[in-house]
Amino acid sequence: MLHLRPGINSWLRDAGWTVILSLAAGAVATLSGKPARQASSAATPAEQVTFNHDVAPIIFHSCSTCHRPGEAAPFSLLNYSDVKKHARQIVDVTQSRAMPPWLPQPQKLKFADELRLSDAEIRMIQRWVEQGEIEGNPADVPAQPKFVEGWRLGKPDLVLTANKPLTLPPSGTDTYWNFIFPVPIQQTRWVKAIEIRPGDKRYVHHANILVDREGSSRQRETEPGAGFGGMEIRIESQVFDPDSHLLFWKPGTVPYVEPEGMALRLDKGTDLILNTHLQPSGKPEVIQPSIGIYFTTHPATKLPMLLQLENDAKLDIPPGQKDFVVTDEFLLPIDVDLLAIYPHAHYLGKDIQALATLPNGTTETLIHIPQWNLNWQAVYRYAEPVRLPKGTRVSLRYVYDNSEENPLNPSHPPARVRGGNRSSDEMCHLWLQVLPVNFDPARGDPRMLLQEALARHNVEKNPADFEAHYNLAAMLQSKEKIEAAIHEYQLAVGLRPDDAAANNALGAALVAANHPEQAVQYLRAALKARPDYFDGHYNLGFALAGQNDFAGAAEQFRLASRLQPQDANVEANLGAALAQLGDFPAARSHFLRALQIDPNQPIVKENLDALQKEMNSH
Amino acid sequence: MSAGTMLLRITSAATVLLACTALGFGQHTAFDLEGHVVDPLAHSSKVVVLVFLRRDCPVSGRYAPVIQQISKAYAGRARFWLVYPDKSDSAQEIRKYLTEYGYHLAALRDPEHTLVKLGRAQITPEVAVFDRSHRLVYDGRIDNWYADLGRARPAPTTHELEEAIQAAFAGKPVHRSEVRGVGCYISDLE
Repeated sequence: MLHLRPGINSWLRDAGWTVILSLAAGAVATLSGKPARQASSAATPAEQVTFNHDVAPIIFHSCSTCHRPGEAAPFSLLNYSDVKKHARQIVDVTQSRAMPPWLPQPQKLKFADELRLSDAEIRMIQRWVEQGEIEGNPADVPAQPKFVEGWRLGKPDLVLTANKPLTLPPSGTDTYWNFIFPVPIQQTRWVKAIEIRPGDKRYVHHANILVDREGSSRQRETEPGAGFGGMEIRIESQVFDPDSHLLFWKPGTVPYVEPEGMALRLDKGTDLILNTHLQPSGKPEVIQPSIGIYFTTHPATKLPMLLQLENDAKLDIPPGQKDFVVTDEFLLPIDVDLLAIYPHAHYLGKDIQALATLPNGTTETLIHIPQWNLNWQAVYRYAEPVRLPKGTRVSLRYVYDNSEENPLNPSHPPARVRGGNRSSDEMCHLWLQVLPVNFDPARGDPRMLLQEALARHNVEKNPADFEAHYNLAAMLQSKEKIEAAIHEYQLAVGLRPDDAAANNALGAALVAANHPEQAVQYLRAALKARPDYFDGHYNLGFALAGQNDFAGAAEQFRLASRLQPQDANVEANLGAALAQLGDFPAARSHFLRALQIDPNQPIVKENLDALQKEMNSH
Repeated sequence: MSAGTMLLRITSAATVLLACTALGFGQHTAFDLEGHVVDPLAHSSKVVVLVFLRRDCPVSGRYAPVIQQISKAYAGRARFWLVYPDKSDSAQEIRKYLTEYGYHLAALRDPEHTLVKLGRAQITPEVAVFDRSHRLVYDGRIDNWYADLGRARPAPTTHELEEAIQAAFAGKPVHRSEVRGVGCYISDLE
């Protein structure tokens, strides 16, 4: 009469502070009556350039979005006197292209909301300063841009504010901090937009949201609501639920409203993790971000996916080396539309490039950033989806500068740098948001093909890639190739014998393959690594019950129940184990508790009836 | 005028320059936050450091803990003044800024750019270091923390201001490489 819920395993996402967004990176504000860009007003060098006629349109279009009170920029650029007060500085930073912050080179595939000044616009500002910063005819000045105050998309349906603010010290190195926002919803909801308000925008360099459906980040907090430090974080997920949205904020970001059918799913119990990069300002700052969520009633019908190319294993950069090259390439197994791209490296990254070589042999530049700067990293959304047919080879080529000449080098003198999660380590990541197209829905979720191809590629590329083995195993397990999955999990555990998630997953797979006696050692290893691991206790209880050790099983289910008192399955299984031990009254109360949590459990009702009969017959 | 004095003037151009500037103080002046005219070089036999700052300059802001720390390290031997060259800055605004950034240093308003010229400042933040005889021995950046706007090193690897202060104490010449600061132009305020 013992019915147990199947074992639990997890998908690992190297969430690498990179992952999951739904906010666009574009930086052009919600301007009403946005001035036309008229830099090419065809003034010849002899003509007089004035602020009102020539410079104001450029500034209002490309600078004022951030350079206004309450926004990220340190001073306002909203009128003649504002601009005059920074005129020479504006010439310098536009000529060096430090401002506006837009890293990619111009290319054939256009990005949405490009924030790049033309050469003519830059020359115009320079000429204006050379000619003495003349204000000009008041009739020429375009209307000052008008901005939406407060939430850009109007009042959100749900506002979440960080429990505990972070006090940023006045000095020191950049800080990476993660705020956890539990989402108080009772049922699955669909999200069309999320607006990130990172606290004081002047000190938050960028922020992004990761979706944690299993509460796996909470274990990193010293106390609930405290948040935790770290630049790159890992999220675990129990179902095949690949990251699909790029939820990113940087100065100037306008919240991105997903097109209909591309909503983000939020389940009961989901946490949103806001990963922030903060820069000290010279005085103490209190940072308390909030998130505005906009729901839609339209569930997702199009399921995009984030494909990650990476080659961190090749990052072993000798000190002093100026041009250390890392490449990776991936052959697309299906037709996709490329929607957005997000390159990521740390402080040694210099020249970053991604190409697509189509099956017909033509090559397109997907992105080229000749002077990488982590401080201005962004998600770049294409103006139009880019069709990449099956057989397209996507490749990346990142160049790193670990010499003394790189001022951003975290070590002085330069030291050997390897791949890793700390800001002093390096990364070689490229995220592509792709939407599968031209697929036959009868043949299953097309994203599975992408995920499997990617995991196989990663395992071949780097047999020591823990996450690749782990995710390939999870993929195989979901296709019910359980023995192959066990093999991959074993390789993963071999690489990280102390990893709680991998040991738990291997144990769960062995239970599923009817080898509970082999599972126990891995589940015990998982619990040694993480004593308060709900899944580990649950699965160990399951494995012990499978060997008729009901006392041991009951003990594990009790520990699991203590960790998650609202879990109906744990209560049901605890009841079943107690029934096997002959403790009928206790068994009955746990069955009733399970039904109280979730009345819709036929198996529990069946168990309860069987128990009642057993009790009546005595 | 004795021959000895003549000789001194000829060999020390900076002193002559300073003397001229000091003469001009009657017309062009700097003020403390109470509105009193102040000559930071007068009545002092200490090394004097002028630190030029703009309130609207984020690089000036980020340097506050550095400036505070260096001034503390040489307290008693070097007199630090914060100089605000933006003529639209009120004393009240500067006081607020000092409190926010935790400064314990005296501040001056320099609306006519008298001190800017005296210290040859071009950018904020920059510093001017005067030795005990009020000769300008160094003007330029504090250190090389910033390589460029938006590109700061994790920590500076050169320390020009501290080297200049120590040279001024020792009466030694300062190695002058004429490196300007990275930040905001003072000339944009004119």
